[in-house]
Parts: sequence; structure tokens; C-alpha cells
Amino acid sequence: MKRVGAISLKTAEWIGLLVVALLFVFPFLWMASTAFKTMPEVRQFPPSLLPESWEWSNFVRAWESGPFLMYTVNSIVVAVGILVLQFLTAVPAAYAFARYRFPGRSLLFGLVLVVLMIPGQVIFLPIYVQLSGWGLVNTLWSLIIPYAASAFGIFLLRQAFMQVPDEVIEAARLDNASEWRIMWTIMVPMAKPVLVTFGLFSFIYHWNDYFWPLIMTNSDEVRTLPIGISSLHMSDGGTLWNVMMAGNMILILPILVIFFVAQRHIIKAFVYQSK
Amino acid sequence: MRKAATAHELPGTGQVQAKAAGMPVAWLELATRLRPYLYLAPAMICFLLFFFYPIGSIIYLSFLDWSLINLEEMEWVGLQNYRDLLADQDFRQVLGNTAVFTVATVGIGLTLSFLLALWLNKKAKVYGIIQATVFSPHIISLVSVSMLWMWLMDPQFGLLNAALEAVGLPGYTWLADPKSSLLSLIIVSIWKGVGYNTLIFIAGLQSIPGDIYEAAALDQSPWWRTLVRITIPMLSPTIFFLLIINTISSFQVFDTIAIMTQGGPINSTNMLVYYIYEQGMDFYNGGLAASASVILLILVGILTALHFLFMSRRVHYR
Amino acid sequence: MARVVLQGVTKTFQNQKVVKGLDLVIPDGSFTVLVGPSGCGKSTTLRMIAGLETVSDGNILIGDQAVNALPPGKRDVAMVFQNYALYPTMNVFDNIAYGLRNRGISKKDCKLLVEEIAEIVGLSDYLKRKPSQLSGGQRQRVALARAMVKKPKVFLMDEPLSNLDAKLRNQMRVELTSLHKQLGTTFIYVTHDQVEAMTMGDQIVVMSEGQIMQVAAPMDLYQEPENLFVAQFIGSPAMNIVSAEGRSDQLWGFRPEKALLLPASVSPVPADDRWVAKGQVVSREILGSDTLFHVETEKGRVIVKADTEEARLLGGAVTVTVAKPHMYVFDRASKKRVGRLGGREQAATLAGGVS
Repeated sequence: MKRVGAISLKTAEWIGLLVVALLFVFPFLWMASTAFKTMPEVRQFPPSLLPESWEWSNFVRAWESGPFLMYTVNSIVVAVGILVLQFLTAVPAAYAFARYRFPGRSLLFGLVLVVLMIPGQVIFLPIYVQLSGWGLVNTLWSLIIPYAASAFGIFLLRQAFMQVPDEVIEAARLDNASEWRIMWTIMVPMAKPVLVTFGLFSFIYHWNDYFWPLIMTNSDEVRTLPIGISSLHMSDGGTLWNVMMAGNMILILPILVIFFVAQRHIIKAFVYQSK
Repeated sequence: MRKAATAHELPGTGQVQAKAAGMPVAWLELATRLRPYLYLAPAMICFLLFFFYPIGSIIYLSFLDWSLINLEEMEWVGLQNYRDLLADQDFRQVLGNTAVFTVATVGIGLTLSFLLALWLNKKAKVYGIIQATVFSPHIISLVSVSMLWMWLMDPQFGLLNAALEAVGLPGYTWLADPKSSLLSLIIVSIWKGVGYNTLIFIAGLQSIPGDIYEAAALDQSPWWRTLVRITIPMLSPTIFFLLIINTISSFQVFDTIAIMTQGGPINSTNMLVYYIYEQGMDFYNGGLAASASVILLILVGILTALHFLFMSRRVHYR
Repeated sequence: MARVVLQGVTKTFQNQKVVKGLDLVIPDGSFTVLVGPSGCGKSTTLRMIAGLETVSDGNILIGDQAVNALPPGKRDVAMVFQNYALYPTMNVFDNIAYGLRNRGISKKDCKLLVEEIAEIVGLSDYLKRKPSQLSGGQRQRVALARAMVKKPKVFLMDEPLSNLDAKLRNQMRVELTSLHKQLGTTFIYVTHDQVEAMTMGDQIVVMSEGQIMQVAAPMDLYQEPENLFVAQFIGSPAMNIVSAEGRSDQLWGFRPEKALLLPASVSPVPADDRWVAKGQVVSREILGSDTLFHVETEKGRVIVKADTEEARLLGGAVTVTVAKPHMYVFDRASKKRVGRLGGREQAATLAGGVS
């Protein structure tokens, strides 16, 4: 009796796990399925699970409904540009916090933690005013510069740098390496896993970002992919769900690919925030 | 050799030191002292320009009458913006919506995540896969998540209503009905965030030393008592952190509103950041937007202060 | 190649003096060992010579150059660390070559130099490996090679052998000594282990609480300790200290290996040239060749080192006797050695056996 009970409990758990998985995966599968359907099939009731014929043309329509190549290029330029700048500003800052004792250190680090906690949504207006004063609104710069330094990046790297044994740095000093050289040839290579983690986090965040480009830009030349995709459903009267879903597939596919390749790193990146 | 010659017996060793280094000693020392500040400068200048200055600026702007159309004309109006804001019926509704949204997403979201974490915190590979699956919406752009759920919630052709009808229930209007629109946004937010919270909970659970559970088991503690007396108290730092983080991010909700409802119908889904955006960018009412921003800033500031207070105490007692 | 001179070198950490005005000459080409209990300031002294710590007061000279203001990389010294401190992201070749590259030595010369050194320390087959793929002994060799390749004026070593197992440590001890002979460079070696100090050094600096207790060759240090601290620190087990007979301002000491243990039944020949104490064996430690007897005597508890064959029963009554010339006399107040009982100073004759 007990044995049977144990088996059916196990089965129940497996069913439960399957339901949970479907709850989170099925919407994406449905998105993919819709992206390949014809409009009549989209409107069909009851809906079909898989498309009858695979309409690749939905993707073409989505892509051609706006300057999507430009959006994509802009998205890449912005996400990569931010990443490079954040890397260049975070490495020396984290090195200073991790390796030097100097007056004002804890105050400055406290400020970094404040930046870490308070979201940009709170202060977008004055930044807009400021950038517009500099004539930078509606340029790619307005999307990049405000994010040139990352508090999260500094925080993560500082942790990594603090774990480097003092002796290794002292050995490098005796090897006549300058502080600058120690930073880039000893510390940065040793912090590589953390850099990868942070890079993924930053790239995903800014690739996905909708709010900032919406605020800062108003012309196609400088808009990014999320803005382009979001304008798909406002195109004409009846919503073209299939084209819309196809467009979104374009937006999320790179992220999903990265997620599959570097899943462990990404999960670490996001979970790390809690520490 | 009985005893080494002492240093003082050596001639001429005292005078060499001044010119020993290639550079003057004082200059070298100054460079060493300045170095950390130089290394911090790029990042700190960025924070100053795009964080601390704007914070001061937003407070100042909230006392002015201004708009984005003409930044040349700004007029000091004192507290008038705040008076207008509090008198604004819409803003009151916005605050109410934000409160309901926050309590619901944080409350339901964290409860679900906690239960999922208890369930999925196991070694076998399946659980890892399910964890990753539950987490996956978190890394997807809110644009896609919003559009996907608009499609699922479409009253005519959407999958949700099709499913409801298949089991004989009436369809739902979801986003189109002021009674259900906020609930719809809550569902989307929970769906997107639950995976992240679950993973943080799991990380927290794994940091609880296993021998405590073994001791509890030896004491024949029933599972619910172990949960209430051991797991939850040990997890309290994680719970607190998640409460703060989730509350702050609920205050920030914007993308879903902008894409799914634009605050409607009849203002039923309008919340703080969207209100600020509308006032500032669409209605060119800079003063109102700025004062609403300051209120948001105060709310977030309080939460941040609580967080730091809690963290410092934790560090202190460790 | 250079002599190292310390003049009144002082180090203060947060108002606490950890090194108190050291005056010391480390002769060119010597193997000088700084030894002392942990916290005595020996490592700090070494790190000040390396330039890793600033000097709070006083001067350090390497050769004839004052180096107080010179950064570590410009002092022409090399250091071997306790934990090797290899660069974990670089392979063995790059680890050794890093210092050369930082000095702007051409790629070609780098390669030649590294390969030459690798040959000497026996690492030629491991140049492509990462430190994590090496054994403890191999890592130690990389650390040595990294120091040697720079052809420094002075080698600094901070407890370099303490992470190795006993067997490897003995082997490396011999290797380091012969390396020193081969290179003829000044070695400054820090350790807390007196055996290491005695076996390797030709000049030993005993330190305690930031001060130098004695500077001497190994045998001198053993035979002629200048004070109570050195007497008790050098030698294993430590020198026995008993109260002086008839003089409250003095303390007497004798080495456990210089005492004789007789059964109580054998009454010792009463003689003026012996110190005698009756007592009971309370415990013994068998070391193999020797045995340590802990004896509770009327004049205090002492340890006697004797042949294992002299197996005494635990709890047996015994008599401890020491020839008076082996009894050291210390001043109770200043802790300085005054001389020996019997008034015979053997220093001059015994110190000859050193070097």
C-alpha cells in the first residue's frame, strides 16, 4: 500500500513539474507558433496548436515594416558601447575600492550602493533636460553616456578583486609592474568569470531596455529594436498578431540563444545582485 | 665573526638617500595618494552627472513651473506643484493603483516564489531545468512579454479565453475592462518576476547549514515547525532583501503599461512612473512630473534607507 | 650583488611599533636568516627591504643606495613568497617572463633567459602549464625561477618552504643552500623554524618583539647565547632555566642534552664542579634516537635529553647532574647572559668549528 502511495506521489510531482514548466515555456512556444500562422488561422476557433503552413513571410513583413536593420545596428551599438564604457570605468574604480585605503573610501562606496539601489526611472526628467541642453537628445549618445558607469559592475568587480591574494600583487610589484599594468594584466584576467557574468547582465539589460530609448529618442535613425518592435502593433486597424509575434521572435532570439549557451553565467549574474 | 659590524660603523651611508630615487620623494608620495581618486574619477564623474546632480535637479525642478517645450522659461512657484498634484484626482488614483499593484505583485509573487523554491530546491537535474525554465521570462524584454500577453489576453482570439471557453467558463475582457485591467498587469508582472525570486530564495535556502536540519530531524520536529522555526527565520535576510527589491521595482513599472494599456481604460492602470512620463513628455507639465518624481524618489529613498539599515545591522551582529 | 644595511629601521602600524630601530648589516653574498616567533617583526623587516612596506623611520641601503623611496620593482631584489604567489592566469613561461617584460626586455632575450632558468630548476617540460596543473614542489620551483631570472642583487624569501611536506622541505633546503653557493648572491631568508635557520644560514638574526636579540653564526648562537631569549629560542627542546643557588639576581640555565640522569640509588659523587638536583621522572617522549625525560626536581621542572637505551621507569627517582661549565648564568633583571658557572668562557675555542 505504502509503496503504491509513494509511486503515485512521485507521479503527481512529475505532473506538477510539467505544469510549472509549461506555464513558463508554453507562452513562448505559442508566440513561435503564432509567428508562423496566417491571419485566418490566427483568428480560428478553436485555435490550432501548430501552424498549418509555415508562413516565413511574417518575419519578412515584420522586418520590412520599418528600418529594422537600423534598429538592430543601433541596439548592438548601444548595448556594446555601454558594455565597453562600463568595463573601462568599473575596472579602475573597483580596483581602487578593493586595493587602496584612502580617506573617503567608505563614503564613496556608500554612494555607489545608493546608485545601485535607486532606479533611473526616478530621475529621467532632469537627465533629459540636461542632455537636451547639451544637444544630445535624440542621438545614440543619449542612450549610452548616462549608463557609462555601472554601480553593479563596480560592486561585482570589487568583490572579485578583493579575493585576489595580496601576495600575487606584491609579486607583480617586485616584478616592476606599474599599478596600471597590475590592474590590467593580473587583476582583470583573474576576474574573468565575473567579467563575463557582468557583461552578460549588462548586455541583456540594455538590449531589452525599452524605457530609456523611448524617452530619449524620437526618430528612427537612433531608435533601438525594442522600440521598433513595440510599434508593430500600432501599425493598422486590426492587430496582426502573427507579424507582431514574428517581430518579437527577432527581439528575443539572440537573448534565448545566449541563455542556452551561458545559462549558468546568466543565472549567476542575476542572482548575484542579491549579495 | 663574533658579531656583525653595526651599521653606524659604515662610512658615508647617511647622505646618499636624498638623491636615490629618480623622482623627488614628495612628488612620488603625492602621486601614490592621488592614485585611488584618479581611478575612481571616471565612474564617479558619471554618477555625479547622471545620478547625483539629477537628484538635486529634480528636487529643484519640482518647485518650478516649466515644460520640455521651452526650457528657457522656468518660473519659481514654490509648493504649487505639490498642491496641484495632491488635488489631482488622477494622481490619487495613480497612487492607489501603484499601492494595489505593489502589494499584490510583491505579496503573491513572493509567496509563490517561496513555495516554488521549497519545492525546486533539490539536487536532481530535472529541478535545475525547471528552475531555468521558470527563470527564463526574466531575461526577456518586457516589450516581448507585454505583447505576448496582450495576444494571450486578446478577448476575441486569445488563448486564455479559448481555454476558459473550452472548459465551459465565460471569456474575460482582461485589459479592456477597468475592473480586470490592473489584475491583468499584476499577472504579467508576477509571471515575469517569479523565476528571479525563486532563484534568490533557493540561493538563500542553500546557504542554511544542513546540520541545523539534521538536528531538527533528530529532535523529531514536524516539517511545518521546521519551516516556521528554522527555515523562515534563517531566510529572513533573503526575504527582506526581496521585499525591498520587489517593492522598488513595482514602483518602477512602466513598460507593461506603456505597451499594454497606456494607463487605461479610464486611468485604471496608470501608475507612478507612467504618470510622470505622461505629464512630462506628453502633456508638457514639467512641474507636475517633477513633483511626482520627487514623491517617487522619497518612497524609493525610504526603502533604500531601510535596506541599508538592515544590512548594516546584519554586518554588525555577524 | 650587494650588501644590505639597515640603520635604525622602524615600522609603526597604527601607533604600534612592530619593528624598533633595527641596526643590521647583511654582508654581500651571505645567507642571512631572520628568525623569531610569529609577530616578532621579521616578515615586516623583509617586506620593508622589498619595498612592500614603507619605512616609518630609519634607512635601508641596498649596495650603497638608499632605497627608502624606491618602489619594489626598482630595488633590484626578488622575493619568493610563502604561498608562491604565482600568477594563476599565466602559464609557467609567462610567470617567469613577466618581470622581464616589465623591464622592457625584448621577446627574443626573454625567451632565451626563461629557457635557461627553466633548465636550471628543471621546469623545461612544464613551460606551457598553468600553476594549477603543477605540484607544490613544482610551483616552488616556478617561484624560484621567477626570482632568479631577474638576476637580482638580493634574494628575499619569506618562509618559502612552510607549505611543503616534510620530505620535500628537507630536499628544498639542500637545494636552496647549494643554489646560494652557486649564485653567490645575498640571500635574506625569513623563517620561524630554528632548524631551518640553523641548517641554512651563515648569519642568523634572532628577533623578538621588533628587536634584534642576537646576530651570530649558527654555532655561536647555540654555544654562546647572549641572552635568555636566544638561549631558550635556539635549541630543541629549549634550555632549562632554574633559579640560581644563593643569588636571587641571577638565573641559571642548561641545555637538556648536557644534563646527566642517574638513578637515585646511585648517589652521585659529590663534587664542586657539578650542579645536582634530585627528582622524579614524570613523563617521557621517545624520539627514536633520543628520549626526553621530564623531571620534577627539588629545583624545578627540567627536561633531560638522553639516549633511548637509558630507559628509566616512569615515576622513578632520579638525580639530574650538569657539569658546571655547561651552566649558563643570566642576569634576572636584564635577561642578559653574564657568563658560565665555573667561570670558564668557552666561546673562543668552540666558535672555530663554524662555517
